[in-house]
Amino acid sequence: MSDTAAVTMTFHPRPQAGEPQPWAFPAPERGTLPNGLTLLRCHRPGQQVVAVEINLAAPLDAEPEGLDGVATIMARALSEGTDKHSAEEFAAELERCGATLDAHADHPGLRVSLEVPASRLAKALGLLAEALRAPAFADAEVDRLVRNRLDEIPHELANPQRRAAKQLSAELFPASLRISRPRQGTEETVARIDAAAVRAFYEAHVRPATATAVVVGDLTGIDLDAVLADTLGAWTGDTAEARPVPPVTADDTGRVVIVDRPGAVQTQLLIGRIGPDRHDRVWAAQVLGTYCLGGTLTSRLDKVLREEKGYTYGVRAFGQVLRSTADGKGASMLAISGSVDTPNTGPALEDLWKVLRTLAEGGLTDAERDVAVQNLVGVAPLKFETAASVAGTLADQVEQELPDDYQAQLYAQLAETGTVEATTAVVKAFPADRLVTVLVGDAAQIEEPVRALGIGEVTVVTN
Amino acid sequence: MGHTATAQAGSGGLTATEHRLANGLRVVLSEDHLTPVAAVCLWYDVGSRHEVKGRTGLAHLFEHLMFQGSASVPGNGHFELVQGAGGSLNGTTSFERTNYFETMPTHQLELALWLEADRMGSLLAALDDESMENQRDVVKNERRQRYDNVPYGTAFERLTALAYPEGHPYHHTPIGSMADLDAASLEDARTFFRTYYAPNNAVLSVVGDIDPERTLAWIEKYFGTIPSHDGKQPPRDGSLPDVIGEQLREEIVEEVPARALMAAYRLPHDGTRECDAADVALTILGGGESSLLHNRLVRRDQTAVAAGFGMLRLAGAPSLGWLDVKTSSGVEIPAIEAAVDEELARFAAEGPTAEEMERAQAQLEREWLDRLSTVAGRADELCRYAVLFGDPQLALTAVQRVLDITAEEVQAVAAARLRPDNRAVLVYEPLAADGAEGDEGEENADSDENEGAEQ
Repeated sequence: MSDTAAVTMTFHPRPQAGEPQPWAFPAPERGTLPNGLTLLRCHRPGQQVVAVEINLAAPLDAEPEGLDGVATIMARALSEGTDKHSAEEFAAELERCGATLDAHADHPGLRVSLEVPASRLAKALGLLAEALRAPAFADAEVDRLVRNRLDEIPHELANPQRRAAKQLSAELFPASLRISRPRQGTEETVARIDAAAVRAFYEAHVRPATATAVVVGDLTGIDLDAVLADTLGAWTGDTAEARPVPPVTADDTGRVVIVDRPGAVQTQLLIGRIGPDRHDRVWAAQVLGTYCLGGTLTSRLDKVLREEKGYTYGVRAFGQVLRSTADGKGASMLAISGSVDTPNTGPALEDLWKVLRTLAEGGLTDAERDVAVQNLVGVAPLKFETAASVAGTLADQVEQELPDDYQAQLYAQLAETGTVEATTAVVKAFPADRLVTVLVGDAAQIEEPVRALGIGEVTVVTN
Repeated sequence: MGHTATAQAGSGGLTATEHRLANGLRVVLSEDHLTPVAAVCLWYDVGSRHEVKGRTGLAHLFEHLMFQGSASVPGNGHFELVQGAGGSLNGTTSFERTNYFETMPTHQLELALWLEADRMGSLLAALDDESMENQRDVVKNERRQRYDNVPYGTAFERLTALAYPEGHPYHHTPIGSMADLDAASLEDARTFFRTYYAPNNAVLSVVGDIDPERTLAWIEKYFGTIPSHDGKQPPRDGSLPDVIGEQLREEIVEEVPARALMAAYRLPHDGTRECDAADVALTILGGGESSLLHNRLVRRDQTAVAAGFGMLRLAGAPSLGWLDVKTSSGVEIPAIEAAVDEELARFAAEGPTAEEMERAQAQLEREWLDRLSTVAGRADELCRYAVLFGDPQLALTAVQRVLDITAEEVQAVAAARLRPDNRAVLVYEPLAADGAEGDEGEENADSDENEGAEQ
């Protein structure tokens, strides 16, 4: 190949790295307010948008039988009016602070996230405290949220990625476990929710004594203790026993479920099972091995499926904590996700399984391990540049009953994890014969080629 | 209006110095030592508006090829080396520019500069049929994943085609058509590189924990000998009359979960006061949960699942105000349309209240602070103002300009632009009985969209 541009510039050897600058995951200061609220605070100079995360001990497992989605409706209703503001006034006051407030319910608990410029933190915390302390839960607002939620469901089911996630949960977990069913409820269960049910759930599970607040950002010139005393500190409530957590079990017998989408130009794939969470010693090795398998476009999966074959825009392997407790009853979802064009669905899955088998047979190389460690550990200062990213991770740690220095320890463990450990962990995490495969795609075109692969019994369900 | 959240709200603490190499490469540096990271951002002044008929999607396909190696970097080396150094990287293509960016731990900054220089100067040494064919397939799968296989996925493309007439440089979106992606040849890619990828058609910004003198020396060392090149033709003229003059309309019957009303309003060009005024107007009307349209359609009428406005700022053609309403079960489009028109007409007649101005400006200010909260965000803004408006210093005062907008200006732009005869409308009707996403107008090199990857 000759090109004039290529010969006219002066080439220099690849530069060597300079001296690394020290960086450590921020250590929060932990305390408790007189009302029992746990508080983590962390000063991040320069971060003018302050992030506040609230963890409420209201897990989906606590939703009453037949009322799946009540935690979601309650989360949304928190910001739809209080003892001092109507729903519209509350939204207006928040936006007047330049704040955003999001609340969502997930298996481990309910999470409320506030972001606001530091100069308006006091006012925004006042509104947040109001929402937690005295939500109105007016009939009309709850009814509206219920109808709105019912209208959202068809949109979610139409999205191939979300449809696949719903199917995988239903396949993996026993129907008796809340975790087998959609987080935000189904048409049937959501339709039953009313203001009384929302209030009952709130009264049973929302109180400062079982809540944690994480405040991160540039706190220069802010008397946080005084601000908190007037806001979250004024929230009162009783105490409660910790709720027992049922262990997560799953059936990972290798099989394939096709959710039929006639005419789909791509097949959404979600291949998963469950595995250990962050309380297990293997977590660091599993993170490392999973990154080597499918963490980026130069990992094993995309090297073949994307960069060699062009079957996909990208396939990723990941581990995501589902719910996690210090007693070791938690679990994470281990999965491979992406979409491939319809005609190449069979060949893409064949290659994917070949990648898994090759990995199991030959293991990772030292070079792969080194690059992965350098990336996972090296990106830390980038990843935690913003207040929101630090607050999110600190709140996750609280939710998963991990120590406040967990993330810092994890970086140290990653740096010490060897190639053999990482190989063992990833091969154990993704065994070729113990994976449940969900394909959202055109069954008429993909069923036969998928059957021929022998990766498990194939069933087709209508969309 | 003086509702500022920060002492130095004008700049958020941002400063920048400018330099120019002999070959025409413009350089913007901004120092900040709070975190040991540095962002490198390179904007090439080429986007889908430069593409010609029959070759839509070429700028974006080419952006993918920039990650397939260059003279000193084999294969996927650009990704491997940056990620192996603890950095992150990507590239995106929009109507008006193509950008490439790396965020690195400080001590690896030099590597990112070396890599960007290598591909700016020598991409063609590595470009071959194999990577062309492979990335063509990858981009076609990107198109399927983000547009063709999701409900309402082609709305942006359809509305753009309606809002900008046939033959207009913004009539097609950066992703391009399948037929054109198939037709692009290796020679097209080579010609594209020779035409647009030159130091004098780019702006490089470096932001973060840097020593400016040393950084500039590295830039001179690695980029300084890349020859400049003047083969570029200016893009076709994108100017259009201020208003469309009629309501353009398309109805689609498709397999979607609910009826939807979408519309694109023709708005002033980015870089003007009127554009900032339009941004404030759209925020009041359709930005967030206290907006007029949300209150009307979602809270009061309860005819919509979601209703809002977005804005696509464009410098070389009219910007677009982007309406998106998904209806509640059983609701017909005319009911939605009448309510939207009523709210817009009332707003144009009465103008915003002082409180509405305060809320919108507080929201826009926070969005700006969010963009400035990372070195990569700052680097991108500096390049944006340098490439599109010729002056990176404008980034330092951007938020102040939005905060200076008056209620009268907001009312004026609403009255002039947010009218039924100045919009393209797209209506979705579900196929059977009544029953996605990403940055509009921007394509990425790396999918990296899968949520849930945790450590």
